[in-house]
This record gives sequence, C-alpha cells and structure tokens, in this order.
Amino acid sequence: MYRRNEVSALLVVVVLAAVTAGAQTRKEFHFRVHRRASVSIVNQYGPVSVKPSSGKSVLVTAILYSDKAEIDQRHSGSRISIATHLLPGADADSGRVDYEVSVPADASVTLRSATGPLHAEKLHGDVILEGNTATVDVRDLSDGHVHVKTLNGPVTLTNVTDGHVEITSVGGEVSLMSVSGPFVHVNSNSGRIIYDGDFGGGGEYSLMTHTGDIEATAPAYASIDVLASSSQGQVVNDFPLQPVHTSFAARAGSAFAGTMGKAASSVKLLSFSGKIHLKKR
Amino acid sequence: MTGARKLQSDKLSEAEAIERAKQGDGEAFETLYHLHKRRVYSLCLRMTANTAAAEDLTQEAFLQLFRKIATFRGESAFSTWLHRMAVNVVLMQLRKKGLAVVPLEETIETEEESHKKEPGADDVRLAGSIDRLQLEHAVENLPPGYRAVFLLHDVEGYEHNEIARIVGCSIGNSKSQLHKARMKLRELLKASRAEKATKP
Amino acid sequence: MTCDEFERVLPELEGGHSSEQEEHLRSCSSCSELVSNLNAITDNARLLPEYEPGPQVWNAIETALRQEGLIRQPQLQLVSPASSSPRWRFAWLVPIAAAALFGSGLFLIHRQVDRQFAVKPAVTTASVTTPAEPARNVASSADEEQILAAIAARAPAMRASYESNLRAVEAYIRDAELSAHDNPNDQIAQQYLTNAYEQRAMVYEMAINRAMQ
Repeated sequence: MYRRNEVSALLVVVVLAAVTAGAQTRKEFHFRVHRRASVSIVNQYGPVSVKPSSGKSVLVTAILYSDKAEIDQRHSGSRISIATHLLPGADADSGRVDYEVSVPADASVTLRSATGPLHAEKLHGDVILEGNTATVDVRDLSDGHVHVKTLNGPVTLTNVTDGHVEITSVGGEVSLMSVSGPFVHVNSNSGRIIYDGDFGGGGEYSLMTHTGDIEATAPAYASIDVLASSSQGQVVNDFPLQPVHTSFAARAGSAFAGTMGKAASSVKLLSFSGKIHLKKR
Repeated sequence: MTGARKLQSDKLSEAEAIERAKQGDGEAFETLYHLHKRRVYSLCLRMTANTAAAEDLTQEAFLQLFRKIATFRGESAFSTWLHRMAVNVVLMQLRKKGLAVVPLEETIETEEESHKKEPGADDVRLAGSIDRLQLEHAVENLPPGYRAVFLLHDVEGYEHNEIARIVGCSIGNSKSQLHKARMKLRELLKASRAEKATKP
Repeated sequence: MTCDEFERVLPELEGGHSSEQEEHLRSCSSCSELVSNLNAITDNARLLPEYEPGPQVWNAIETALRQEGLIRQPQLQLVSPASSSPRWRFAWLVPIAAAALFGSGLFLIHRQVDRQFAVKPAVTTASVTTPAEPARNVASSADEEQILAAIAARAPAMRASYESNLRAVEAYIRDAELSAHDNPNDQIAQQYLTNAYEQRAMVYEMAINRAMQ
C-alpha cells in the first residue's frame, strides 16, 4: 500500500510521461512483399536504421516528434517508398522523425537524410545511402552494391565483403574496416580515407582524394599490385614491394609502385596534395 | 534541344562539333552522340546481350567521353578514343558482375573440347553463306569471355596486342580465346542449321 | 603434318599459312572445311548490323550533362547583348528535380522559384566576374550563386555549408583540369577530372533536392 506522497510522485511521473508521449507519435507500417523488395526512406531530420527481417515483409516503425512532420508512404507491388513530409514551421527538432526499418535481407534499400544518422546492417541486397552531414554506418553487408554519397558526414563501413562499393564524399571522413570485394572506389575531396583490411578478393581498389590524407593498413600477406602517388603530399610505404615497370613514374610529386604476393588485387592510392601512408599491420 | 535532323542539315562536322562541345554547346554534344551512337550501342548490346544494360553502358560511355572532351587534342581519331572508352566501360561492368572477361591463365582444355571429331562425322555442313541473324544469335550464346574477345577482334577490328592490353591478358591467351570463340560459333551455327533442317 | 598438329597451330595463324600447312589443307578436306568455316564467320562478323539505341539514352545523357554544368547556352541566346551574364538556367532544374521527387503540388514551388530567379536583363557588367575569367567559371559561379540563394531561402543555416562544399569541389576541378591539360594521355589525370565532376554533380543534386524540399 503506497503512502500519499509516493502516490502523488507516481502520478506526477505518469502525467509527465503522458505529456511527453503526447508530443511524440509512434506509427507502424507493415508491408507484404512477394519478391525482391525495393525500399526507399527519405527523412530530413532523424536517424534511419535498417536491419534484416525474417520472411517476406517490410516493417517500418516511425516516431514523430511533433505534428510538424507527416509520413507519406506508397506501396506498389514490392516497391515501398516512405518520405517524411515537413509542414511549414518545422525545424530540425520539430521535424525530426526516427525510423527503424526491417526488410528482407535481399531487399534493395535507399536511405536519404540531411542529418541522419543512417545505419544499415546484415543485408545482401543493394544499399544506397545519401546524407549531407549524416553519419553513415554500414556493417556486415555482403554481395550487394553499396553506394554512399555524403557532403560532410563521416562514413564507416565495417565487414562489407564480396560486393561493389562506391563512396563519394566532399569533406566527410571515410573509414573502411574489413572491406573487400571486386570493386571498392572512394572519391573524396578533403575528407580523409582510412582503410584497414586485406585488399582481398582479387578486386580493384581505388582510394582517391583531392587534399585529404589516405591511410591504408594491410597485413604482410596482402596480395596487391599497388600504385600510390601524391603531387604535393608525402608518400610513405612500409612494405617491401617488387618493382614493376610502369609509366606513371613520370608523374610529378612523390610516388611508389610495386607488387606483393601474387598481386591479385589492384590498389590505387592517389591524392593531389594529401599525405599517403601504406602501413603494415 | 533540336533533333538530329536539324544538326544534319547544318552539316556540323565532327571537328566543329568537338570544338563547340568544349565550349559547352549542347547541340554539339548531340551531334557527336548521333554520329557515334550506333557503333557504341551495338558493341554494348553484343557484349552484354541485354538491351537495358547496353543502354546504361552507352550512356556511361558517352558521359565519360563528354566529361573529358576538353582534354581531347586530336592525337588519335575521335571515334577511336570514344570506342576505346566504350570498351573500357563495358569490360568494367563485366568485371563488376564477377564475369571473368578473359581468364588470366591459358584455359585448360576440357575433355569435351579436346575430343577429336572423326573426319566426316558432321553431316551438317556450314558451306555457303552464313545467316547473319543466326550468327548474331550464336554470338549472344557465347560465354562472356569468348564473346568479348570475338567482338573486339572480329567485329570491332582490334589487334591481339590491343586486346591483351585492354583486357589484361597475354597475347597468346587472346589468340587462344578467339580461336575457341570461333570454334564454338561454328558448333552453334551447325547445330542451328541441323535444327532447321529437321523441322517440317 | 597431322590434323592434330594443324589444329594446334591454328590459333596462331593469321594472314597466312606455311607451305607445310598449305599442303595439309590441300590434302585434308576436314581441316580445309574447318578453315573455310572459320573464315566465313570472321568475314560475316564484320558485316553484322548496327543497332539504334532508344531516345531515352540521349535524354538521360543530356540531363546529366546539364546537371554537371557541361552544357551551357550558346552566347546568341543571351537576353541582352550588353549583358555578359549568362541567362539564368536554374528554372529548368526545378521541373527535373520535381519529376524526380513528386509530381503534383510542385507547380506552386516552380512558380515561386521562377519569380525568385527570373532573368534580370539590367545586370551591369560591374556585378559580373572579370573578363579574364574563363566563360565556364563565370557560368558555374552564376549557377552556384543561384543555387545558394535557393538554399538560403529555404534553409539559411545550410547556405554556408553548401558554399564551402562548392568551393572545395571547384578547386578540385581547377586542379584536375590543369593536370589533365598538362598530361593529356595520363589516365590518372583523367580519373581525377572524372572524380571532380562527379563530386560537383553530387553537390548540385543534393543542393537542388534541398532547395526543393
């Protein structure tokens, strides 16, 4: 049996929770899909997280922080499109919507946000993520295409294998941890590129910046045909490379090129004025 | 944007179109596109055997060319430059799909390939003119690696040393793949003729 | 020479046979037919027809070229001969972005943007970049200013960020163009240029999408 003060305190807590909850609205959308689904989420403010579901359904849970935002949703066959519609007067706080999405693992997913963050994990369909300043976090993907576009948001890919990876960033830092596959291309302007993996899969790796630094860490057993060049920046190499005959040596600036192991993968580390360091793990 | 007819009636030469395209003239870009679209598209279509993919690759090849047109100095023929770009775009796409364009090592002959046919065993002869439609169909059915080398050499006219450089294999491998492609085509054409002959 | 030996060297034979190979071809109908068939395939390969791509291919190329700022209106289309400021082209980006997003309801936004960015024939030369600046940079600067103005109207806090990104990308393009000009046969220089243009296209696309929201 509670005393009166405790009951009052409890009532206050309940009322406060109700008031807070009243400002937020939770909505759920459930879609059945019959074959490879295509899911698109456009959300100006707020996180979007995508994970795999079991079965052939797409579940979207959205939390709206005010009535200044509405959710437009369209479903046609296996194509699902969700977009946050901001009403006049909405800002980053009142226009915020948090999304949690479950999709079949082979679904194609497109996420667009200004502030994000954007998160995708354990999928093997194609994944496209676009953000202005949104933090992009992708992990445990395989086989599909991963395309990331960002202006200044940091991008992190972890354990992404056997797929096709293309990242374009102006100022956002790009980190690739255990990323390997037939095609890995990063196009950065001033954003730093950090690679820590084995350059495996007999793939084509191209990490290029205008002014951003490039730091690549690989194991001693890496099998690569590497070319690194910076017109105005420093270039450092920790590996003993077998020399190759190449015409690139005529380029101005600092450079090195050579092979290791069976030279299975092609690796290009190129920058106009950033520093390049190929480190041995 | 005006149509190709207007451009043709104005007789904008390729050289003029290139210079105007460097200045950002939209009609000049369109002229260059219409001058070369068939050859590029046909190459893409035959390499991929897929209309949608061929259209995407054609678009990509021309976009890459137009982005770099300011750097074209006329050291080689424009069509050669464009064509080389289209070939690179297509091969890149095939590699992305995990299709080995040409195996890095010489292929090991399979038992089927090395089986010596007895002279006169083939009753269906390929003598006389080859039906180009059937040849087209047979090319579509070639494995991607054979198809790429066949198209580059026999259809587009590249030499083996060029193919080897483009595709990243040895000259010997290129020759071997071409021969196998032709042998496979011969086999497919004969089978097609045999099938036609047995139909009522 | 046996048939096996002949078939083994066949891949290497281009443009001629040795006397030994000629002798074998004369005496062996099977190998002779084989060579004849292969030659026929090669001859017909050169005559395969060419195909025409659908009109949507050019449409897509043209749209991309405009988005990347590679297509600029010719000088004859300037509004006033006295004006050295290129005609404002942002209005065509609006329906393109609208078609990419949603259809209806954007008509009002289109009208609003048109009023905001209507061509101003009375632009004085003093407000335009100096004659020494290449035409492309003048066009790009004008486009960028209009895009930034659209961003400022809808999301003032983001104008500075977009401006900073555009400056970074334009600097990259300048460096890449110089490098490509100095090294016309350098594939790496070409790739830098492609990368720089891709970055600008990305920034433009994001800015237009932002302005449209």
